[in-house]
Amino acid sequence: MGTAAVARIRLQELAVARGERIVARGISLDMRAGEITALVGPSGAGKTTLLRCIVRLDEPASGRVLIDGEDAGTLDPCALRRRVGLVMQAPVMLPGTVRENLAYGLGATDDRALDAALASTGLAPGFLDRGASELSGGEAARVAIARALARGPAALLLDEPTAALDGASAAAVERLARDLAARGLALLFVTHDEALAGRVAHRAARLAGGELVAAGPAGEMLAR
Amino acid sequence: MIGVAVAAGLVAAAIVLSRVGGLGLERDLALAAVRAAVQLAAVGALVALVFEHAGLAWVFVTAMLATATATSARRLRGIPRAAARAFAAIAAGAAVGLAPLLATGAFSTAPRELVPVAGILIGGAMAATSITGHRIRERVAEDIAGVETRLLLGVGVAEALAPAVRGAVTTALIPIIDQTKNVGLVTLPGTFVGLVLGGASPAEAARLQLTVLFALLAVELVAAVVAARLAVAGLRRPGERVVAAG
Repeated sequence: MGTAAVARIRLQELAVARGERIVARGISLDMRAGEITALVGPSGAGKTTLLRCIVRLDEPASGRVLIDGEDAGTLDPCALRRRVGLVMQAPVMLPGTVRENLAYGLGATDDRALDAALASTGLAPGFLDRGASELSGGEAARVAIARALARGPAALLLDEPTAALDGASAAAVERLARDLAARGLALLFVTHDEALAGRVAHRAARLAGGELVAAGPAGEMLAR
Repeated sequence: MIGVAVAAGLVAAAIVLSRVGGLGLERDLALAAVRAAVQLAAVGALVALVFEHAGLAWVFVTAMLATATATSARRLRGIPRAAARAFAAIAAGAAVGLAPLLATGAFSTAPRELVPVAGILIGGAMAATSITGHRIRERVAEDIAGVETRLLLGVGVAEALAPAVRGAVTTALIPIIDQTKNVGLVTLPGTFVGLVLGGASPAEAARLQLTVLFALLAVELVAAVVAARLAVAGLRRPGERVVAAG
């Protein structure tokens, strides 16, 4: 466990590109253990590409990503992605049961570890045997988070995690994000919804016009 | 010649039927028939020449390999160095079948034996390579979100593409497996028919057909597996990432 003062994830002068075009540049941002950082901005601002760059699914055009002080570019990509979970906006369930989704790529696992991951997202252990293709949108969103948690990450990146959900499911995911931060995870919550960012985040940053235009405590920053 | 004349009459009848039925296939049917006649006449003359000169037989085999490579490479389009990958898969598959058959003397390197056997094996390797490469590209393009989901869960590219590889290799092998299972029940394959019509005993024809079919099973499996590995390598980017080939 790092102390709260050490940035779990530090972005240094990051520039991200889609194809050949730079969509955002000069992004410097810290995400600390136990905190929810909200990244807000209109769609197309490069938020998703930024998340993909943190876990090296895309290569940054320039700049660095530091994970607990280590350059992400020097880390084993598979280990990096277990340490920093990215949950996509429309999470894809792999074929099979919820158990198979949670255990994917983990080798030998016992059900207790999977139960614990599932329970922390508020889903009952009985869910393990459900077919992953039969889940509702809200259930799939929580299973996707549980699937990332089963890898024991230090940080979670959530891309518009509530955008496709009804009010009750969205509220459950907001509560879940706060619980996970309280347990010491660093969370980056990407959303175009500033009200949502104001409710869940400790700190917030706004991406607009290809730059990070403001960053600071969520209450102050979002009031501007 | 009577046989060709009767068959040509059947093509003419098919063209008339297409016209009467308003199917619009007249041009395609006529063109296919004319092309087949020209190509087979040319190959007949060429093969007669090749059968006379042992050196030409290897040139002919090389030309078959080059044509098969060009054909499969089109199916791998979008993957870098598609032709080199197609060549490696086809050559590896064909060599696995051809080497032991020639080394043990099951077939001789006399042009009359080498050319048709090499042709069948290269053709099988080509089909397996094309289907495998095409299916992997298609699966990755259709399911890039699923592939990236697997990568995000911390597995490498080979593991993330394993379902696509399994599906592609299975699809590529369906024709040869079904053909081997049903040989003699549904169709009498070309080698058997040709040998019997050429005067070989049915037992002799069956023995050779079995040799070719068994060799093809190995040839196509090896070609498909090599093609799959090379396609995956072509789609992989540094940092355990994948690009969907356009």
